[in-house]
Amino acid sequence: MTVPILKQGDYLIGSIQSALTDTDLIEFRSALADQVGKNRSRAVIIDVSGLDIIDSFTARTLQDITNTVKLKGARAVVVGIQPQVAFAMVQLGLYLDGVATALDLDEGLALLSAGAARRTSSG
Amino acid sequence: MTENRQVDLSGPQLFTRQEQEALGLLWEVYERHYDEIMAVTMAAANSDPALKQIMSQMRPDQMEADQLKSRRQTESAMRDGKWQPILDDIREQGGHYAQMGLPFQSWFLIVTAAQKIIIEKLFEAYAGDAARLQVIVLALNKWFFDVTLARIGETYLATREHVIRQQQEAIKELSTPVLPLRAGLLLLPVIGVIDSQRARQLTEQLLDGIRTHRAKVVVIDLTGVPAVDSAVANHLLQTVRAAKLLGASAVVTGISTENAQTLTRIGVDLSGLVTTSDLQSGVDEAEWLLEFFRGRHQTGRDERQLPVAER
Repeated sequence: MTVPILKQGDYLIGSIQSALTDTDLIEFRSALADQVGKNRSRAVIIDVSGLDIIDSFTARTLQDITNTVKLKGARAVVVGIQPQVAFAMVQLGLYLDGVATALDLDEGLALLSAGAARRTSSG
Repeated sequence: MTENRQVDLSGPQLFTRQEQEALGLLWEVYERHYDEIMAVTMAAANSDPALKQIMSQMRPDQMEADQLKSRRQTESAMRDGKWQPILDDIREQGGHYAQMGLPFQSWFLIVTAAQKIIIEKLFEAYAGDAARLQVIVLALNKWFFDVTLARIGETYLATREHVIRQQQEAIKELSTPVLPLRAGLLLLPVIGVIDSQRARQLTEQLLDGIRTHRAKVVVIDLTGVPAVDSAVANHLLQTVRAAKLLGASAVVTGISTENAQTLTRIGVDLSGLVTTSDLQSGVDEAEWLLEFFRGRHQTGRDERQLPVAER
C-alpha cells in the first residue's frame, strides 16, 4: 500500500492510514524526499493517526524522514500519535528525539506557521 | 494418648477431652454467678470510653437479646462441646465492631475483666481442689485468649486490611487530577508516593487530558512528592516524552532541594526537562512557551530552555 502525499501550499502532507510494511515505509520516505525537492516545499506533515502501533522501525523511519527533509531545507512534523500509542512507545524507549510532534493536523499547521512567523519577523 | 495430643486451633476439635470437661465445670460456676459476672464485665466495659460510646448507641432490648444469645451459645459450647455457632458469632461480631471503629484494646479490657471475676468465683468453688482448679483456669485462659481474642484479632486484621485496600483505591482515583488552567495549558499536580502502577495511571490520564483539552504545554508539579528515586525519575521522563509525542511540552516544577540533591547524587539525567523551582514560575514559563508556539516571541531568550524539538 502506498501512502498518498498531498500538496498544500508550501507544505506536503503524508497521511498514513493503516499499518505499513517496512518496504512501504522506505518507499514513503523516498517519495517524500523527492516531492520536497520537486515542489520546493517548506515543510512536511506526517499524519499517523491511523496507526494503532508504532514499532521501532516506524519510529526510526520517522526520524530518518525528519533528518532527510531537513537536508533538503524543509521541516517535518509528525501529527496524530494516539495517547495509548505514545504510552507504548515510551515504554519501548522510542522517544522520536529531534522530531517535532503535534496533536493533530490542525496543530501541526499552526506549529509550522508559528515557526514561519518567527522567521519572518526576526529575519 | 488422646488427652495429650496437640490441639489444632483451626480445626473443629478445639479442646482436648480433659479441657472440655474442665470447661463443663467452668460453665456451672459461670452460670451460677452469671448476673454478677455480667455486672462486673459491663462495669469494666462502661469504664472504657470507646466501648461506652458504642454501647450507648445500642437499643437495650437488642443488647439483652445479644446477651441471651451469647449465653445460650456459651452453654452449648462449654457444656456440650458445640463450638461452631459461637465461633461464627465471634467472627461476625469482631468484624462488625472493627468496622464501627472499636479499638482492639477494648476487647482485651472486657475479656480480662471477665477472666478476673470468673477466676475469683472458681477459687471460691474449688478452693479445696487445687489440681482441678488449675486445669479449669488453664482451659479458661485458652478459651478466652487463644481462641476468642485470637479470632477477634484475625477479623480485626482482615477488616483493617480491607479498609486499607479501599482507601488505596480511593487515593488512586482522587490523587491524579488533570486540571485545565487556560487554553492549551494543563496542570498536573502530583501528590504522594509514585509507584509504577500510579505512574502509569498518571501518564494515561495526562495523555487523555492533552488530547481532550488540546494542550500544548503541561505543568507537572511535584511539590507534593515526598521522595524520588531513579524509578520515579524514569517514570517522570517517560511521562514527559509521551506528552511530547502528542505535541505537548512539559514544565516540571516543585522539585524540593532534597529531591534535587538525591537526583543529582544518583546521577539521573534530567537534562531534557524544562524545570522551574515552584509552581508559580512554572506557570510563567508555560505561558512563555505558549506564546512562543504561537510565534509571537522572537529573540531575547536563551533557547536552551526550549524543548529539544523546538530549538
